[in-house]
Amino acid sequence: MNSSLTAASRGLASCHLCLKLVSHTLHDCPRCGSEIHIRKVNSLQHTLAFLITASILYIPANLLPIMITDQLGRSTESTILGGVVLLIELGSIPIALVIFIASVMIPLAKLLVMFYLCWSVHHGPPEGTRQRTVLYRITEFIGKWSLIDVFVVAILVALIHLSNLLVIRPGIATVAFAGVVIASMLAAESFDPRLMWDQLETEDE
Amino acid sequence: MSATGSSREELNCLACPSCDLVFDISKLNDGESARCTRCGHFLTVYREGTLHRVMAFTSSALILMALACSFPFMTFKASGLESVMTLPETALKLWIYDMPGLSLLVAAFIIIIPTLMLLLILFLVGALLLNRNYSWLPRVGRLVYTLESWSMVEVFFIGVLVSLVKIAKMATIVMGISFWAYGAFSILFILALSGLDRAQCWGRIEALGIKGMASGEVPSERLGDNE
Ligand SMILES: [Zn+2]
Ligand SMILES: [Zn+2]
Repeated sequence: MNSSLTAASRGLASCHLCLKLVSHTLHDCPRCGSEIHIRKVNSLQHTLAFLITASILYIPANLLPIMITDQLGRSTESTILGGVVLLIELGSIPIALVIFIASVMIPLAKLLVMFYLCWSVHHGPPEGTRQRTVLYRITEFIGKWSLIDVFVVAILVALIHLSNLLVIRPGIATVAFAGVVIASMLAAESFDPRLMWDQLETEDE
Repeated sequence: MSATGSSREELNCLACPSCDLVFDISKLNDGESARCTRCGHFLTVYREGTLHRVMAFTSSALILMALACSFPFMTFKASGLESVMTLPETALKLWIYDMPGLSLLVAAFIIIIPTLMLLLILFLVGALLLNRNYSWLPRVGRLVYTLESWSMVEVFFIGVLVSLVKIAKMATIVMGISFWAYGAFSILFILALSGLDRAQCWGRIEALGIKGMASGEVPSERLGDNE
């Protein structure tokens, strides 16, 4: 009986931090002290702002060098895309494919999915709301895993420093790439999936 | 409908964070979990006696983190030369190469935030086990669950494994004490957090508060835990 109603339709708000249900007229949560809002504040604007930041940073992240290798007095700069091309030329197609998917496709797919979800709040087909909620949760979950590339650079830089023989230095794209990942994580955190369901509710009436 | 004070819903129910549907979660048995029937979102799991386990995982994890920070993590050997890396150096080296922002972020993600969270959990679970209603309890709880999404312990450890695959052919890599300590640390860290279900943990904090208000004061000599 209860499960056919949303909290908002009963005048209740759910605390984003401790999940307590309280009257939406309250300012602060009586249990944990966080601010109470029925829905995340300016969710779509914040999400889009972070998404645009991430999209802009995505360009230098892929075009600028992510790592610089000093080997016997010679410096080689490598970019993410350059590394993939090199692997293809060397014939390691499977590894090239894995790196291409993990470092290029997934960050891009996350951005496209989040843009689509923002658009779908007002224009999406109502029967796909559940699938879109699952899509959102997958995107939110993958978020931090893209930082693996940044950690790999940090680890190789810290590990490989054989004075004149071989030294690895971090490239500026590492900063841009970290920016892409963090901005996409913030975008996912700002997005409120309940907005998609609210749309469904108003259409039902 | 106006909801003033503590209605039945406010005490026993939970709204799905993804779709806002309200569910009664007060009648879960030991080991039972609740999922949203409309969108499938995980809501909460009720398990008895997890606090002692969380305490054990948390304190062991803190010791492992201390080990991980004080010993060599990996050694790279090629052409008779070798270089060593320690855990803090992963962040510090970036500072040396003029990336202070990224250096701080890496330090925060892999050392500072996880350690801070564990210390806070020690206080939080300690207070719950002692049945004491301290005024700082909600603040500590809020900090733990705010920091939760910004700890990258497991992501970093997978990053270590990916790096190993990348350079395995170039040279000989020797894993140090710190490597094993951090690996074990990441497992204990995840186990500790999985024992701290958000809704259940806050329910306990709230129960302590209500009990404290009802009896005026919680007896300070009692060390038992009501699990
Ligand atoms: Zn709260
Ligand atoms: Zn739901």
